[in-house]
Amino acid sequence: MGFIDIFSQQLVNGIVLGSFYALVALGYTMVFGVVKLLNFAHGDLYMVGGFAGFLILSFLSPFIGPGWFGVAVSMVFAMIAVGILGVVIERVAYAPMLSAPRLSILITALAVSLVLQNGMLTITKGQYVPFGSALGFGGVNLGSLFISYNQMILVGVSIALMAGLEIFVSRTQYGRAMRAVSVDKDMSRLLGINVNRVIAGTFFLGTGLAAAAGTMAGAYYGSLWYFMGFLIGLKAFTAAVIGGIGSIPGAMLGGLILGLLESFGTQLPGVGSEWKDVFSFSVLILVLVFKPTGLLGKPEQERM
Amino acid sequence: MRNLLKTAAGLALAFSLGAPAIAQDTLTIGLLVPTTGSEATYGQDMANAANLAIAEINAAGGVLGKQLASTVGDDACDAQQAVNAASKLASSGVVGIVGGYCSGATLPTLKIFGDAKLPMIIPAANSTKLIPENPGNVFMVNSTGNDQVAKAIEYFTAKNIKSIAIVNQGDAYSQDLADLTRTNWEAAGNTVTKFETTNKGEQDYSSVVTSIKSGNPDAVFWTAYYADGGLLIRQLREQGYQGLIAVGDGSNSPELFKIAGPAAEGVIGFSNPTAEFLPDAKTFAENYQKAYGTAPGPYSTLTYDATKLLAWAFTTAGSTDFDAVVATLQGANFTDTISGPISFTPEKTLARSNFVVLEGKGGAWTLPQ
Amino acid sequence: MPDTPIRPSAWGGLTTILDTPLKRQVAIAVILMAMIVAPLLFGQYATVILTNALLYVVLALGLNIVVGYAGLLDLGFAAFFAVGAYTVGIATLNFGLNFWLALPLAVFFAIIAGIIIGTPTLRLRSDYLAIVTLGFGEIVRLAARNLRETGGASGLSGIESPWLFGWHISTPLDFYYVFCVLAIIAVVVSVRLANSRLGRAWLYVRHDEDAAEAMGIDRVKVKLAAYVVGAVYGAIGGAFFAANLGAISPNSFSFQQSVLILMAVILGGMGKIPGVILGAFIVILAPELLRDFGDLRLFIFAVGLLLIMLFRPSGIWPAKSRTGARR
Repeated sequence: MGFIDIFSQQLVNGIVLGSFYALVALGYTMVFGVVKLLNFAHGDLYMVGGFAGFLILSFLSPFIGPGWFGVAVSMVFAMIAVGILGVVIERVAYAPMLSAPRLSILITALAVSLVLQNGMLTITKGQYVPFGSALGFGGVNLGSLFISYNQMILVGVSIALMAGLEIFVSRTQYGRAMRAVSVDKDMSRLLGINVNRVIAGTFFLGTGLAAAAGTMAGAYYGSLWYFMGFLIGLKAFTAAVIGGIGSIPGAMLGGLILGLLESFGTQLPGVGSEWKDVFSFSVLILVLVFKPTGLLGKPEQERM
Repeated sequence: MRNLLKTAAGLALAFSLGAPAIAQDTLTIGLLVPTTGSEATYGQDMANAANLAIAEINAAGGVLGKQLASTVGDDACDAQQAVNAASKLASSGVVGIVGGYCSGATLPTLKIFGDAKLPMIIPAANSTKLIPENPGNVFMVNSTGNDQVAKAIEYFTAKNIKSIAIVNQGDAYSQDLADLTRTNWEAAGNTVTKFETTNKGEQDYSSVVTSIKSGNPDAVFWTAYYADGGLLIRQLREQGYQGLIAVGDGSNSPELFKIAGPAAEGVIGFSNPTAEFLPDAKTFAENYQKAYGTAPGPYSTLTYDATKLLAWAFTTAGSTDFDAVVATLQGANFTDTISGPISFTPEKTLARSNFVVLEGKGGAWTLPQ
Repeated sequence: MPDTPIRPSAWGGLTTILDTPLKRQVAIAVILMAMIVAPLLFGQYATVILTNALLYVVLALGLNIVVGYAGLLDLGFAAFFAVGAYTVGIATLNFGLNFWLALPLAVFFAIIAGIIIGTPTLRLRSDYLAIVTLGFGEIVRLAARNLRETGGASGLSGIESPWLFGWHISTPLDFYYVFCVLAIIAVVVSVRLANSRLGRAWLYVRHDEDAAEAMGIDRVKVKLAAYVVGAVYGAIGGAFFAANLGAISPNSFSFQQSVLILMAVILGGMGKIPGVILGAFIVILAPELLRDFGDLRLFIFAVGLLLIMLFRPSGIWPAKSRTGARR
């Protein structure tokens, strides 16, 4: 493999990985935007989304097959189911806390994360679950550069979801309400916006995106695990902060940047896979030192 | 208020931290394995295997006229948690310990069990650091990494392989094995093209795969466990890596084939003999599947054997007396196993290397012709 | 301008119950007696668990200075804990230093680490601070995992337990009493700090950074001081942790560890010393008491946490009227 081949292959790897990070980071950033909560359970909702997609697919695959079509249909159902779970969690665990000290909500979120993780540990007896989809191995070879059809579909679906979200937030009435709530909750309420409904809707969308990512990851990589949300939750949080937490385009950009940092970091001599996370975190800290609110974040006054 | 709380906490402690009364007609074995946290998969496999052995022993009449029972101490693969779990086991009236999966978590527990005069058999953890810390009660039935590396290098050399990429998962076991392999492989005049460390639970190995491919090695050696190994193998083949893929004993579960799918065809494994093709072990694998609905994990066979070995030692020693049991284990030549006969060196490690070469064929491990 | 901060009592309202010196002395005597006899009553397992809880008291009180006093969210506190543990491990194993010589070294490195972590983060607001501290925590853990000097993923083992004036601190009971002393020192220092000039500066910075700055408080220095003091607590805890277990590995310094310490601080009621102590006992004792539930124990623990937070959002320790539930 020549330099160009390696470079372009790592570029592809970084974009695929980055689109997963971006999808999960979006939920982080949207929830943060409207309720100023770092939802540490978000990665675990990705995990639950993966299991939900798997369960739905195993019911549906006799009718619609275990290929991409089946996965896509299951993904939609998983998004709805887990989206509802997200709203329920918001209602039960976060809504009563919104006037409490911010750190208390953070601990609540961490507790929700532990509940989801350990609940799934008990259900699955800790076992890895093979996803059981049949996506095939085909792809396009350009010289020694290889892009699989699966990767193209994944990135395509991610872009479609993100574009859909962007249109929803910027063009619809509901999206406008969401933006209003994220700027000033009390003012929005005075202007007649149903703030609670907007918050619920935001959780639904954010969680749904995580579930979509979870289902796609399960189908693409081939296995599910009760602990699989932890690492990606951490990475998505990082991505959201790099982009500027609270900013939707920021989350997409942050996800992409983190994905590329990791793939190129793996290849860099002196960094390698062993040090790639240290590399990414160092870049994150540098970004924040020079741009304290992330790349696309707006400066804001806030206190704990 | 505070005193009240203290008293309440004290009472709670007195009730639940006190030694639970263990019935006189059973002998309880303590199982020190991680059943929560990121290593719970393997810990639960081990607990399952031990319980299967106990059920069979009980069906055959038990030990010393008593029934066997087990109690799990969850170490969560964390040193402090392991100390807590070990202290609880040691004070709960168990007669012996089977367990030890994470070497780092197992290390500080050896002294606790030694002080409590409990014989301990370690089926999985095999870091060489355990050996000098052994207070004399601990027997390791898993071959150490050295034996595995010797087997791997012998195989690579026979296949005329000159360069390898080594991939580990950043945990004590796989990093140890990877380091040992690198040292010995380079000492034999060969090259290591890449030395990669991944994170457990990372699903995307594509950049690692590209990095490996850019070094163009004759073989890739994965030194960690089947779950992530399956993903790596899949992604290696998907990106068109053509060379040999070899895995260590942590990957010897048949689950590897479920996760990697057809990509695992032709994968080479260095392992103690696994359950699928040994006549004795076949029954074990079937019973295990029947009881727990999943295939046995990488350390299930050894845990099963370790439990039987401990029961045998009680029977042979004629009591659960510490010195007698330890002496029996030291002199053991125990053949009622599914992973090969067990006897110990003076250092109380397994006397022989139990590693064989396996090949993945048609979705199962086979002995290559 | 926000309302004027009321000087809180670090005792979190205990002073209104224990209002005379006599009552206080009796309370202290009762607690000390309880600490001394507890291990003799409950046996070795309880001694080990209580030792662990006392370690968490020290760590949580340290984090409380950062989070509760200065109002800085820290998700990487385990980094300081790791610095203390590894300094002692490496200094005693590789350089043959005595534990008591390694201890000041651990404190020294923790101060350096506190400054390294503190300096770039001083301008950041809390959520960004959260990720930066998390990042540092992970960097420290990964460095410990990757470097051969720190023993890699297997960590260091065979760390000698220390001697003190001819007393070999080696049994669980010895370490229990050592941690008792550490916890008492940690409490006393925390109280002193809360009532000091620095403590009042933290209070102002936490309450309103800009107003504090306008009043002539150098918020950079004040925040850095909080980090450094917190780091010292963490390092001392880590040093004795290493000596106690004799073996350390990167697993003990994970993000989950930082989260658990933070839970201890917030669960009981941050800023209030009895609350933090209570929190530390809960996060250690609860999973132990639930051991008989097997793999469900953390699930039950998490549900319990959730319920506690829902019913007492400001922490379990009651917020007395005068010290007020603020923020």
